[in-house]
Amino acid sequence: MKKKIKGISYILPPLIIVVISFNIPLFLMLIRSLFSPDFTFEQYVYLVDHPIYLQILANTFKTAIIVSLLCCLLAYPLAHWITLLAGQVKLFVLGIIAMSFLVSILIRTYAWIVILGNNGIVNRTLLEMGLIGSPLQLIYNDLGVTLGTINVLLPFAIFPLYAAMLKIDKRLIKAAYSLGSKPITVFTKIYLPLTLPTLLSSAILVFIMTLGFFITPAILGGGKVQMVATILDTLINRLANWNLASAISTILLMVTIALYIVYRKVGETVK
Amino acid sequence: MRKLVFTLRYPLIIVSIFMLLIAAGCSDSTESSSEPKKDGELDKSVTLRVLEAGGPSGDYMEKGFVEPFTEKTEIKVVRESPTSLGKLQAMVESGQHTYDLVEVSSGNLYQAISGDLIEKLDWEQIKPDPTNEEGQHEYGIGYQYYSTIMAWNPDAAGGKELTSWADFWDVEKFPGKRSLPDYAVFALPIALLADGVPKDQLYPLDIDRAFKSLEKIKKHVSVWWQSGSQPSQLLKDKEVDYSAAWSGRIVENEDNIKYSFNEGLLDLSYLVVPKGAKNISETNAFIHEMTVAENQAKASEVLPYTGPSKELTALLPQDRLEAFPSSDINYEKQTFTDSEWWAEHGTEVEEKWELFKLNLNN
Repeated sequence: MKKKIKGISYILPPLIIVVISFNIPLFLMLIRSLFSPDFTFEQYVYLVDHPIYLQILANTFKTAIIVSLLCCLLAYPLAHWITLLAGQVKLFVLGIIAMSFLVSILIRTYAWIVILGNNGIVNRTLLEMGLIGSPLQLIYNDLGVTLGTINVLLPFAIFPLYAAMLKIDKRLIKAAYSLGSKPITVFTKIYLPLTLPTLLSSAILVFIMTLGFFITPAILGGGKVQMVATILDTLINRLANWNLASAISTILLMVTIALYIVYRKVGETVK
Repeated sequence: MRKLVFTLRYPLIIVSIFMLLIAAGCSDSTESSSEPKKDGELDKSVTLRVLEAGGPSGDYMEKGFVEPFTEKTEIKVVRESPTSLGKLQAMVESGQHTYDLVEVSSGNLYQAISGDLIEKLDWEQIKPDPTNEEGQHEYGIGYQYYSTIMAWNPDAAGGKELTSWADFWDVEKFPGKRSLPDYAVFALPIALLADGVPKDQLYPLDIDRAFKSLEKIKKHVSVWWQSGSQPSQLLKDKEVDYSAAWSGRIVENEDNIKYSFNEGLLDLSYLVVPKGAKNISETNAFIHEMTVAENQAKASEVLPYTGPSKELTALLPQDRLEAFPSSDINYEKQTFTDSEWWAEHGTEVEEKWELFKLNLNN
């Protein structure tokens, strides 16, 4: 009992700040969707009648799922490879990955234009080698948005996975080999189960961050890939329709929480 | 036991400090009840706070209006950026009077009026210098003309020049990729002009006809731009050959990009006074300073945009008149955006716009 009180008194200051500066405003914002000014479901009825908003929401989820799957597929072997490196080289590689945080998202987004644009390095090389007749459309579409977003979010999957892989007790793997396991069995029975919770939490982290992405889709999507953040900006800053924006945000939050619950359930069964 | 008390005390002190800070933050807004003063008399201790677009546009305001105003009245002006309708609404709804003036687009001006977010201006007290009609709005002072114009790569189409949006739509005479704004408010009028609607008969917009016209060109549009910096980059990188663009971003790159103000979409941004704002006399004095032609000319040296003064054209660099959106030689070529119509139909059009874009890939 005493222990509990002691804990609470320590987290109280940050807790108060988070509640006052984040939770209460968030709650007030969400509640706007139900009052205008009297209690009403008007905004939600409107969303059902005008399916365009929900279509864009679905589009956002689709992009987020693709990005988080690809991030995991890329980050998993990469993180494993880093754990195998020798001390100095490992630091160097980790440093390179961390360095990407130092460059602004906007600059990294424009860098993709230099590489993948009509007149970019890739297209010019392919054209000069005579492999293609006219430039390939590599950006200003779904592909561009997916690439650009993965580029920004990949470190968020690599670092947790790397930490989880370091923590694995190497004796378990040695023991498995000494008992005659094949590498594939060691991976499926030991390595993967021990890193799976982190893999899932990285996926959910990348997923949630993609949901709110704004500038990367706006520029690399060429305006053809709609994300919910852009619609919210339009509703708030151009149409002054906060109530509808709040209803969309509420649905976004609910779906995200539902996915999080599913993830927790899956995580528990895995353990 | 003693140890427990000690461990409890330290966090509790922190909590109380936070509480005090929060209390101080809350009371801050109520303390500023200044003494009553006579009409027209300026209080030099006041600091005006202006929320504006920022970047080069902030320098435009600084050189053109803030510096002359502070020199004349000794009243300080603090600029903050970037502006948005969301910030204005949040400020008025929370009752926190952080800004005396807020920059809004003409579309947001009407949103702010219907949301009861801004004060009417007292033009008798402001005593403005003569401006164009749209420069003195009941609720706002015309601040900056900007124009959405056609621009192209000089090498495209063998050096042929575009003179109308119909040319922009003509993919046989002018082959190549195009870029259009990812904003219904610009793309729809352009589509109608391209379809042959005379520029003085644009409003009320024929929405269906506009989308039909867009259907014809959409295959040739590789980028629908969001950010005003994109068109000049797209043209310079030869990603596209033709683009609609905001004039200020284009006329500074004259060597690489050609442009025409023909059938340009002229628009004016405004500064407005948030509901419940104080320092009205000082704000009005600043607004007066914004109508002075010499000040507007100074601002236009920073950025090729213009203010609404009637006498401005004579003060602009005469050899570059074609670069300024509202100079006498450009004003008549263009069509003025009817923002009142947009405020009324914004949501409806926006939904159709999103639907149109959702089906782009099909």
